[in-house]
Amino acid sequence: MKLWYSFTKELILSSKSWYFYIELGMAIILLLVLLFVVPEDFDSKSEEYMYLDVPQVVKDRYRDNLKDEDLDEESQMVEVEADKRTFQAEFYETDESEIYILDSMEALNAFSSGERVPTVHVRVNEENQIVHTYYLQGYETQKLKNLLLVFHNRKAGYDVIEDYSDNIPVRSLYQNIEPLSDRENVIPVFLTFNGSLMSLFIIAAYIFLDKSEGIIKAYAVTASSVWHYLLSKIGVIIVTSIATSLIITIPIMGLQPNYFAMLLFIITSGFFAASLGLYITSFYKDIIQAFGVLYIVIVIMIMPNISYFTPSWDPDWIKIIPSYVMLQSFKEIISINGNIAYVLVASLGFAVLGLDIFILANHRFKKTLTL
Amino acid sequence: MIKVKNLYHSYSNDENYAVDDVSFEISKGEIFGFLGPSGAGKSTTQNILTGLLQLQKGEVEVAGYDVKHIKNKMFNKIGMSFEQSNVYNKMSGLENLEFYGKLFDVDTRNPMELIKMVGLDGKENIKAGKYSKGMKHRLTFARSMINNPELWFLDEPTTGLDPAIASNIKDIIKEENNKGVTIFLTTHNMYIADELCDRVAFIVDGKIRLIDSPKELKLKYGEKLVEVEYLREGKPIKESYSTVVEEEKNQLIKVIKENNIQTMHTKEATLEEIFIKVTGRGLV
Repeated sequence: MKLWYSFTKELILSSKSWYFYIELGMAIILLLVLLFVVPEDFDSKSEEYMYLDVPQVVKDRYRDNLKDEDLDEESQMVEVEADKRTFQAEFYETDESEIYILDSMEALNAFSSGERVPTVHVRVNEENQIVHTYYLQGYETQKLKNLLLVFHNRKAGYDVIEDYSDNIPVRSLYQNIEPLSDRENVIPVFLTFNGSLMSLFIIAAYIFLDKSEGIIKAYAVTASSVWHYLLSKIGVIIVTSIATSLIITIPIMGLQPNYFAMLLFIITSGFFAASLGLYITSFYKDIIQAFGVLYIVIVIMIMPNISYFTPSWDPDWIKIIPSYVMLQSFKEIISINGNIAYVLVASLGFAVLGLDIFILANHRFKKTLTL
Repeated sequence: MIKVKNLYHSYSNDENYAVDDVSFEISKGEIFGFLGPSGAGKSTTQNILTGLLQLQKGEVEVAGYDVKHIKNKMFNKIGMSFEQSNVYNKMSGLENLEFYGKLFDVDTRNPMELIKMVGLDGKENIKAGKYSKGMKHRLTFARSMINNPELWFLDEPTTGLDPAIASNIKDIIKEENNKGVTIFLTTHNMYIADELCDRVAFIVDGKIRLIDSPKELKLKYGEKLVEVEYLREGKPIKESYSTVVEEEKNQLIKVIKENNIQTMHTKEATLEEIFIKVTGRGLV
């Protein structure tokens, strides 16, 4: 009962603090960002600007080839702006690119110099050979430059490329599950950092605030246990995490996620993160002293984001960082036919690990609560 | 009610002791004053007795419980009023007391009764954060009584209070003591210690220099004097005579016989004067 009284008291106190509303407000802001700023799917097509300084016959061949690859097999006349000037251009859209055929060398220079985008000047030299001149911007990788060289020397390299590409093993990243849209793919990041991992920092803030006001001393001389106090704090933080996670998820994902798994995972991962925060907090007198360690933890926890958005970079060592498991678990939870077994195992792992750390933190707090 | 034997405590875990070989016992129903200047070891000792600091070395028994293996049940028997007010600022005075009442396993007092006792009635529903310093102090004091403690730790209970309220607090302490509550009073205010305590301990640099009742201390260490004010040739004269030294006693008799006495009263040494005499240190 004392645990319940402590929990309800903490809940009431939280509801009276501005921080509680900042968290809810932040969840709403993140939701609005997802709805109105992050597109459903990012447009990954590259834009290419060309000027065909070649005889009409060659131009027509180019156009015919482009039309064959165009999505509607038609070109469009459009106006494009570069360097505060307007130019006419033919527009072709293929599966991979948006191609603009510019009408003059002046337009090409405007794009190259004013807009700082790579452009191509196609011309015929004195030996009647077609020459492609690339105006690169300096930030292109050596790989791209090599690719262009190979591409324009097909006779030398085509066989090698063909042979190589035929032997590349292709592994689908999505097997039985439906891939998420780009917008949905961002949600696990928000759930991990705004939900689970924020628990780590919020609990530190709460504890240090209570320490500075001497409230912990008053609690320590009651017949209630220290762990009641600590667990009631964690409970309130988890409730807040659940609320903010649902605010972000429901309007975008509707009924698609497995909400049972989501609640379970928020509780266990939040418990783990908050216990870790408590343990760190138990070593320091105030948040200023603890900030160095908290900062290091923040940086480490952010690293799995790189792997999340670049699946090809997935070293073994990054998989042991808790935020990696959190990101992957939330992804499974919101995906159709997601791997719930993975989520349950991860939940069990976080619960066991969280409990161990909580026991350690409780032991330390008994010694240091009033320092 | 309290037994302390060879208590040591070092914050740096070395031989630099903040509390150095302290021993004392407090009987049930006694008011025991712990007197000393800042940094003398008063709060450290009190924090060990209340479990706020871990016992490092020595034997401590509080309300029948060994502090080495502290149990939550012990806190049902003790109350603690802190020098620095530490209440929930976002909760009202009444809510503060109601919440703390739920953290004990024994029958607790009616929060409103305590609110009235410390003169906060009418302000019980105001958030504690809006209370003045003195009001918060009274709320902290009231909270320490919520579980009807058998042993009551009071840390500077009248500090920062105006004389009328301080007097009210002293009356409450006396009243509770009359009901049989044992009181451990930590203070550097010798007047409150003199007025309330059955016995006092002088602590300096972590060591107890002496323990005795204020009355005995005055008898032992206080020089008994008579202050006389009289008129000689129309001019007021003020003189002090020892009631112990034979020559001065005779002089006093002579002055009384030959002069028109305006005022005459005995003068006792204060606890502060005795403290300085015994320890060679002030109380601040």
